[in-house]
Amino acid sequence: MRFRSFRARLLAVILALVGGAQLAALAIVATVHNANARREISHDLDEAARQFQKEIERGNGYLARTVGALTGDYAFKQIFVLSPDDRATLRSALESFKLRAQPDVVAVLSLDGQTLAETRDGPSAAVYYRALAKAADTSPNLRATSYGVIDGALFSLTAAPIRAPDVVAWIIAGIRLDRKFVADLKETSGVDITLRHHGQTLVTTVRQPADFLSVTQPLALADGDTAEIVLQYSWDEKLAPTRRLERLLAIVGGSSLALAALLAVGIARSISQPVRALAEFTEHVARGDYARRIVLDRADELGRLATAFNRMSEGLAERDRIRDLLDKNVSPEVAAQLMRDGGALGGEEREVTVLFADLRSFTSLSERLPPRELVALLNRFLDRMSAAIEHEGGVIDKYIGDALMALFGAPVSQSEPADRALRAALAMQAALAGLNRELAAEGQPALAFGIGINTARVVAGNMGSRRRLNYSVVGDGVNVAARLEALTRTPEYRATILASEATLRAAQGHYVTRALGSIVVKGRAEPVQAHAVDGFA
Amino acid sequence: MKRLILPLALLLLGARVAVASGTVQVVCEDEKHQRVADAVAWLSQVDAPPAKASPPAEPVTIEQRGQEFAPYVTPILVGTTIAFPNRDSVQHQVYSLSKPKRFELPLYSGNARETVTFDQPGVVTLGCNIHDWMVAYIVVLATPHFAASGADGTASIGGLPAGRYQLEVWHPRLAGQVQREIVIASGDPAPQIILLTLKPDRRIRRAPDASGGGYR
Repeated sequence: MRFRSFRARLLAVILALVGGAQLAALAIVATVHNANARREISHDLDEAARQFQKEIERGNGYLARTVGALTGDYAFKQIFVLSPDDRATLRSALESFKLRAQPDVVAVLSLDGQTLAETRDGPSAAVYYRALAKAADTSPNLRATSYGVIDGALFSLTAAPIRAPDVVAWIIAGIRLDRKFVADLKETSGVDITLRHHGQTLVTTVRQPADFLSVTQPLALADGDTAEIVLQYSWDEKLAPTRRLERLLAIVGGSSLALAALLAVGIARSISQPVRALAEFTEHVARGDYARRIVLDRADELGRLATAFNRMSEGLAERDRIRDLLDKNVSPEVAAQLMRDGGALGGEEREVTVLFADLRSFTSLSERLPPRELVALLNRFLDRMSAAIEHEGGVIDKYIGDALMALFGAPVSQSEPADRALRAALAMQAALAGLNRELAAEGQPALAFGIGINTARVVAGNMGSRRRLNYSVVGDGVNVAARLEALTRTPEYRATILASEATLRAAQGHYVTRALGSIVVKGRAEPVQAHAVDGFA
Repeated sequence: MKRLILPLALLLLGARVAVASGTVQVVCEDEKHQRVADAVAWLSQVDAPPAKASPPAEPVTIEQRGQEFAPYVTPILVGTTIAFPNRDSVQHQVYSLSKPKRFELPLYSGNARETVTFDQPGVVTLGCNIHDWMVAYIVVLATPHFAASGADGTASIGGLPAGRYQLEVWHPRLAGQVQREIVIASGDPAPQIILLTLKPDRRIRRAPDASGGGYR
C-alpha cells in the first residue's frame, strides 16, 4: 500500500498494531471465557445431576421411614394375615397412611406379586410394583427403589416389606416428580430440568427454547424401560457476565485505539510539519532565496536537520556571492563560459578586435593624490570606460593599473566587432569629456587618455594555473593594439584614438580618420598602417 | 429298698435301649460348608403310623432375655404347652399371626398370666409387638423324633426304632424343602450330612446407631 503522507502511514501502522493487539486480546478473552463457561456449565450440570440423585434419595429415605412406621403398626399387619381379601379395608388404610405421610401413591402387594390395594385408580401400575417387590425380595435389606411412569408422570418408587414379623406383603410408596419438584431443583441448582419418557416431555422447567448446553442421563424404570432426565443450562445466561466483560473490553479497546490514533496523528504532525517546513524552505532555496532561515525549536534529529539546512543555505549564499564576485572580476560572458566549460584550460584561434585604453600622466597624478582618493578616481574613470565598452558588447579582459584591455568578438562571436570597438572608443571619449566636466566642477584636474585598437587573429583561452585562470588573448595583434595606444602620446599625431588599418578595413561604418602612414612599432619588424579616429563621419 | 429299686430301674432302661437303639447325627451345613445352628431336623417313620408319644407335662419355656427370644428356634411335639417368661426389666407383647397358632399376650412383665398350647403342626413365628427385631420360631411337629442343631450344626436324634424314616430339616432361612429317606438298622447309622441352601439373614438389625434418627 502506498501512502501519500507520513501521517496516514503512521496512523495505519499504529491502528493496525493497537487494533490487532486489542482484537487478539478480545479473541483470547472470549475463547478462555467460552471454555470456562463450558467447563462451569458441565460442572453445574454434573452438580445438578448429583443434586437430583440426592433429592430422590432423600425422598426415598423419607418414604422408607414413613412406610416403616406404617408397617410397624400391629393392626395394619394383622389385616394381611387375618383378612387379606378385605381390599376395601386395605385401601382405606393406605389412604389414611397417605394422609399421614403424604406420598403421592401407595400400594400393597402380596408375596406372589398381586396388587392387593393402591391409592389410585386408572390403568394399573402393577408392572412397576411387581418388579420393585421382586427387587426388594432379593436385596439384603428387603428394600428397593426405582422409577416408574404412572399417569403421565415420573414417580420415584420405594418398596419395603410388611413383617408380621415374617415378611407377609410388600408395600410400595411413590413420590411424583412434578412441576414443583423440578422447579425447586432448578432454584437450588440453577439448571433447567426436563423429564422425558419415550421422547415425550413429562415435566420441564424450560419456559422458552434457547441455546442450551445439556446433559441427558437415563433413569432406569422398575420394569426395565428407561426414562431420561435432561439437565440444561442456558448458554446465554451463563455467558451474560462474560458478554458484559467483553463489551467493557471492547469499549476500553476502542478508547485506547482512538487515543492511539490521536497520538499517532500528533506524532505524525510533530514530524511532518517540520518536514513540510523544511520542504518549503528548500523550495525557497531552490529559487535562490538564501536569506530565509528555518527555525525549529527542537533538539532532535529534525532540529539538527534544520541547522544543517540553514548551514546549507548559508553555503549556497556564499557560493552565490563568490559567483557574483566572479562576475564582477571577469566579464559576465567569461564567467558564464567558465561555468559552462568548468574552467578548462583551452585555446582557440579567432579574429578579435582588441581595445587598449590608458590614462595619461597617471604617474604624476598618483604622486599628488592620497591613495584612497587615487583609487576612487581610478575606479570612477574605469567604471565610465567599462560602461561604454559593455554598452557596445565588449568584454573587459583586464585592468592593468590605470589601463584596461577590452575584447570584441571574444569569447563570444559578435556581429561587426570592429565597429563596436570604434563606437566604444568614441563613446569613451565622450564619457571622459563628461567625467572631466564633473571633475572640473569638483575642482579636480582633468584626465586624459589614449586608445589603441587593432583587429587580428589571436589565440584566445583560459590561461593561468589550475588554481587561478584568466580568459585572455595572446598574440602579436594584442601587442599592436597596445603600441597604437602608446603612440597616442606622440604630440604630432594629435590623436586620442589610433586604429590599425586592419580594424578600419574590418569596419563597415563611416568614421572620420586620418591616415598616419606606416609606423614601426616596438617589438615588431613589419610597420603598422595607423589611422587616427577623430569621430563619426 | 433303695438297693432293690436301682437295678430294676437300670433293667428297665436297658430294655428301652434294646427296643430303641438308633441315634442319628444330622449335621447341617450351608453351601460354604459352614455348620448351621438353629436348624430343626425330624424323622417320621415311613412304614409305621406315627409313634405314640405324649407332650411333656411341664410347659416348655421360651424366655425373653435382653430383648431377644431365647431360644431362637424351638421344636416341639404337637400338644406341647409353652410358657413365655419375661426376664427383662421392660415389658413385652408376644404375638403370633401364624396359621398354626395365632395368639397375643398383651404387655406383661415377669411370668405371663397364660401359657399357650400348640395343637396344630407347622411353623409359628413369634414377634414382639413393641420390639420389631424380636423374632423366634416354634416348629410344631407330629413326630417325637426331632432335635435342633447347636452351634456345631449337629442335631442328634436318638431312641429310634429300626425302620425306614423320612428325614426332614427346616431352618428359618431355608430356601425350599429338605427331605431324605434313611434306614435305621442295628447300630448307629453314619451321620447324615445335610446341605442347606440358605437365604440371606434379613432380620431387622437392632443396633440403634444404624437405625437412629438425625438428618439423613
